[in-house]
Amino acid sequence: MGQHKVQGRHSKTDPMPSELILSLNVNGDARRVLADANRSLLDLLRDDLGLTGSKHGCDVGDCGACTVLVDGEPRLSCITLAADADGCAVTTIEGIADAGRPHPVQTAFDDQVAAQCGYCTPGFVVALKQLFDENPAASDGEIRDVLGSNICRCTGYTKILAAAFQARDQLNGGDTSQGDE
Amino acid sequence: MPVVGKPGAKIDGLEKITGSAKFTDDFTLPGMLHGAFLRSPHAHATILSIDTSAAEATPGVHAVMLGVDLPKKYGVIPVAQDETALAIEKVRYVGEPIACVAAIDRATALTAARKIVVEYEQLEPILSIEDALDKSKPLIHEPSNPLRRKRASNCLRRVFQRYGDSKAGFEDADIVLEEDYDYPGSTHVPLETQTALAHYEGGKLTLWSSTQIPHYLHRILSKVLGMRTQDVRVIKPHVGAGYGGKSDPFCNEFCSAKLAQMTGRPVKIIMDREEVFYAHRGRHRTKMRLKMGIKRDGTITACDFKAWAEGGAYASYGVVTAYYFGVFLPLPYKLDHWQFESMRLYTNHPPCGPKRGHGAIQPRFALEMHLDKLARAIDMDPAELRRMNAVEPNTETSNGLRITSVALEECLDKVMEASGWKEKLGKLPPNRGIGLAASAYMCGALHPIYQTEMPHSAVQILADRSGRVAIYAGTADIGQGSNNMLAAFVADRLGIETTDCIVMEADTAFTPVDLGSYSSRVTFFAGNAAVNGAEKLREMIIAAAAAKLDCSPASLELDGGEVFHTKDAEKRLTFPQALVLAEEKFGTLSVVGHYKPPKIGNRFKRQSVGPSPAYSFTAQVAEVEVDPETGFVTIERIWCAHDCGKAINPTIVEGQIEGSVYMGVGEAMLEEHVFQKGALHRNPSLLEYKIPTVHDTPDIVSIIVESNDKEGPMGAKEAGEGPQLATVPAIANAIHDACGVWLNEAPFTPDKVLKALERKARADRKAAK
Amino acid sequence: MSSMLPLPSFDLKRPESVDAATRAMADNEHARLIAGGTDLLPSMKYGIFNDPVLVSTRRIAGFADITETDGGGLRIGAGATLRNVRRHPLVAERYPALVDACATIATPTIQAMGTIGGNVMLDTRCIWYNQSTFWRGALSGCLKCEGTLCHVAPKGTGCYAAHSADSVPVLTLLDARAELVSVRGARQVPLSELYDVDGRTWIMKERDELLTAILLPPAPDARIHHRKLRARGAIDYPLLLTAVRLDRGEGGVTGGRVIVSAVGPKPIEVEGVSELLAAGERERAAEVAYKQIFPLATHTWSSTWRKKMIRVEVRRALEAIS
Repeated sequence: MGQHKVQGRHSKTDPMPSELILSLNVNGDARRVLADANRSLLDLLRDDLGLTGSKHGCDVGDCGACTVLVDGEPRLSCITLAADADGCAVTTIEGIADAGRPHPVQTAFDDQVAAQCGYCTPGFVVALKQLFDENPAASDGEIRDVLGSNICRCTGYTKILAAAFQARDQLNGGDTSQGDE
Repeated sequence: MPVVGKPGAKIDGLEKITGSAKFTDDFTLPGMLHGAFLRSPHAHATILSIDTSAAEATPGVHAVMLGVDLPKKYGVIPVAQDETALAIEKVRYVGEPIACVAAIDRATALTAARKIVVEYEQLEPILSIEDALDKSKPLIHEPSNPLRRKRASNCLRRVFQRYGDSKAGFEDADIVLEEDYDYPGSTHVPLETQTALAHYEGGKLTLWSSTQIPHYLHRILSKVLGMRTQDVRVIKPHVGAGYGGKSDPFCNEFCSAKLAQMTGRPVKIIMDREEVFYAHRGRHRTKMRLKMGIKRDGTITACDFKAWAEGGAYASYGVVTAYYFGVFLPLPYKLDHWQFESMRLYTNHPPCGPKRGHGAIQPRFALEMHLDKLARAIDMDPAELRRMNAVEPNTETSNGLRITSVALEECLDKVMEASGWKEKLGKLPPNRGIGLAASAYMCGALHPIYQTEMPHSAVQILADRSGRVAIYAGTADIGQGSNNMLAAFVADRLGIETTDCIVMEADTAFTPVDLGSYSSRVTFFAGNAAVNGAEKLREMIIAAAAAKLDCSPASLELDGGEVFHTKDAEKRLTFPQALVLAEEKFGTLSVVGHYKPPKIGNRFKRQSVGPSPAYSFTAQVAEVEVDPETGFVTIERIWCAHDCGKAINPTIVEGQIEGSVYMGVGEAMLEEHVFQKGALHRNPSLLEYKIPTVHDTPDIVSIIVESNDKEGPMGAKEAGEGPQLATVPAIANAIHDACGVWLNEAPFTPDKVLKALERKARADRKAAK
Repeated sequence: MSSMLPLPSFDLKRPESVDAATRAMADNEHARLIAGGTDLLPSMKYGIFNDPVLVSTRRIAGFADITETDGGGLRIGAGATLRNVRRHPLVAERYPALVDACATIATPTIQAMGTIGGNVMLDTRCIWYNQSTFWRGALSGCLKCEGTLCHVAPKGTGCYAAHSADSVPVLTLLDARAELVSVRGARQVPLSELYDVDGRTWIMKERDELLTAILLPPAPDARIHHRKLRARGAIDYPLLLTAVRLDRGEGGVTGGRVIVSAVGPKPIEVEGVSELLAAGERERAAEVAYKQIFPLATHTWSSTWRKKMIRVEVRRALEAIS
């Protein structure tokens, strides 16, 4: 059962995975990054760009904790190749607030205490922001549909729904819409 | 405006919502290495040899460690220390970690780990309760002392307790019912997997970890590493939940520390989602036999309860679980003649441990269904049966549990009214039904895991001329809101806002000891410590202000960020002004509040599990619709009335009720911790281990009931676990009301419901002939 | 790097035309196509696929276009996301059952990522197969991947991994054809002939052929209904898929078809039900379906129960459009 300490070393003869130079706009900032082809967008954002708000819940696309926007569309960044965001505008949870002013979805989450442990929260906030960007008058049913993309284990979704409805109502000029189921 | 009782945002909510909150995997240290495990593919086998040479030779690998590198046994419960950081000589479940590799990145570590060659000799695995009880089968844990071999078994702990005379009680009964129940294993599924980051320098270790128990981890880690506790520092950053799944120390914590020592580099080890299913420490699959007797007037006369639990390969909290199976049986209903026998068995599966409601969920499932059956046998409203047997405030149960505040009746009243109970019971359209269940839960285990006369929780408050109030506490906020709770108590006593406080938690170098987030103790124990400390500071501030304002201390009030005379508007100071005065008068301001529970419940020898300074109470109603052709059950709504003593922040308390009920819904309808070929976890992923999405979760109506416990901090008790106990049986009882079938086995998946309906149809046809 | 579950290394080709894509597939014998990647990437993380070259369809010009064809049919580019298929006005107007089918796939986020082509080409699934390298290694693999034994049917010689593509039964009832292109030319295959009975080789296409479009004839004079049975209200793959078609003609319903899927490697078109459907005999048609189909234990939920559900789902699907 012998073992000894070994210094790591990249052998020049090891096959290199294909490397790409990617140009992305991340939360409004132009970035150029060198990435292996097999790098996930989530790992690129977290490790290379220090944007740790998007989370590894499962890393295989089952939970939504890694949700970001790519060209305004929702993406599970753990199963998105970084290469597929090349030339695109990426928005993460860190880019949801506007110059430090929380988005109505974020204010609603705070008011309703919709974040307990907070691990799923970035994914939900990004998904809801995207919904309201496209459809600020989304019905209760449309909201529930979108929330089906994300898993929460703490809240039972009750206050996440309340927060979503509050944000929707605020984005619609404060009137309490009667959303249909 | 008092802070305690106010709903709304918590002090550490926004950072989670903007993504700036840092969890353990969000930290990077220079030169950081990444670790990965090699895990056992066998359920039960002797390790004959391990060859790590190919792993070590892999470019990018810095170190490989094995079990023998950390041979010291540990266990979270001192009397059951049967684990090592990595397997030594033997593997006991599929997924048990055997080796750990530290490399420049996780991909390299994983690839290298797979190159480790292990030779095994397979042993017959113990895969069921029957196997575990069979003395002819191999032992999972061989006793170290060979003289003990003869009496050794695969039973970790058998508990038998008897109170009164249940035999006589059954004779006294008009109706006696005995049935078997089967409650499945399930696991916690926190969104954040276990993650640890270790930094070792100058003989000192710092470990960041996603844990519920920084203090116990600190002690056990030090012991296993052979280091002085003063040289080990455990820090808990934001944690993405635990529900009991992070109340043990884990292999990644030990191994990141050891590999950091071996390599001289920081080492981070995250568990991937599948690995969390192997770490487990979840709910024991429990088979139960329950016998109860009642009189025609509804009085419960006797109860015999037996439980056999599949515990997995290591003890974890299992010794304690064996007690929890029985000690709460006389709560919340009066019970004088009863006995229970429980056996917590070893099996070659991932080890079980505490999951929300620890050990009390399974018997509650059986008991609450059983009571419904008995209620129907005597033609009594099941709610009335609960009401008439409910324990009373300021009494003692037959097994010496001291009951203080009880608002169970009010919970029943409120939940019945909110749900329309009387109008609906037995009167809903076909295949629609309503069901009720009640329960009680402790507010912290009276006895800590290790014997001590020291405080169980303490809070240090520093306030100074800048106006800031800093609260240092060893508590572990895992999302349940303990940081806000501490700030709320302190702010309330000092007349400021929670946002004027800053909480520093869970850093063993700086924060006073709190034993951890388990057994629903934090609000009661740490809250009392916070109130205790805040009162001391309040006194000092009042004394200094009274001197300045030339009035009696009794005439001063603290509110709205001011210190003022209640009858003379001129005499007022801002809070920061008052702090300056206090700092002048008393010197640098620092107070410590601490809490140790009172000495109670020692009437019976070895009654170390069960006693608690207070108990919460719950009544819950579920309304369901059953699809008789498919067996699918839709839960329309669940109403939960929970006596939490006092809601410090009603929004957060509702969140705990909703989260508890949600977890009950998962266990009732979807979750199964089961194995292929007996030993291989069938569904170790978030796709196949099914936790409810928004579409699978009913509307949950939370009703807060306040009994204002005289020993709870400003009356507060608990809300984090209690509400879950009544959920599954309320649903089971509702299913029966809907379609006439009793499901003694959860989860109530459509195939089970359909089979029960088919069986009932056959029985009805037979009876009709 | 912190990655929780790393992907294996590969070379990524990003061709900008169908020509370039087919050449890349022909030139690399170990190349695999990737579109949205919502199924392929998780499988690669689980070590099920390990191809050293991936050929992405993302940059192929026009690959996601949805266009009307002469005669009122529709050409749906293979790269069209499920969300865009679902929202397309012509799909909603002419093939509403396809909207329903796409709406039940996984989650809205995955619908925004995954493509119709990816769904039509979806790998078959089984509880013994869709697991990590470690898990499958504990059993020495299975017949579909790295092993010699089918754990679902150990005494058999075939693989029973289940077809799990939600869009396929409806597309089949719409008489959709798949357009496949390679360096050797293009061909069209009716979807009903695209799939095979063995879970390992479930698609009858050459390795280097690229699915470029789904071709739909003009909407038939028929009502089509799709039902998905799954454990939860989102995310999950189907436990059972049922699609039914009732043809309209002189005097009402003239006949119909029933397809059941997620019960074996290929979707099953129930035989001999057309006359029953014309006669409105829904329960008898459901019984015929029940008698013809035998789901095996490829899912976490009971196969006995899934078989019983065939009767219920077929009948309910027919009720919905009668």
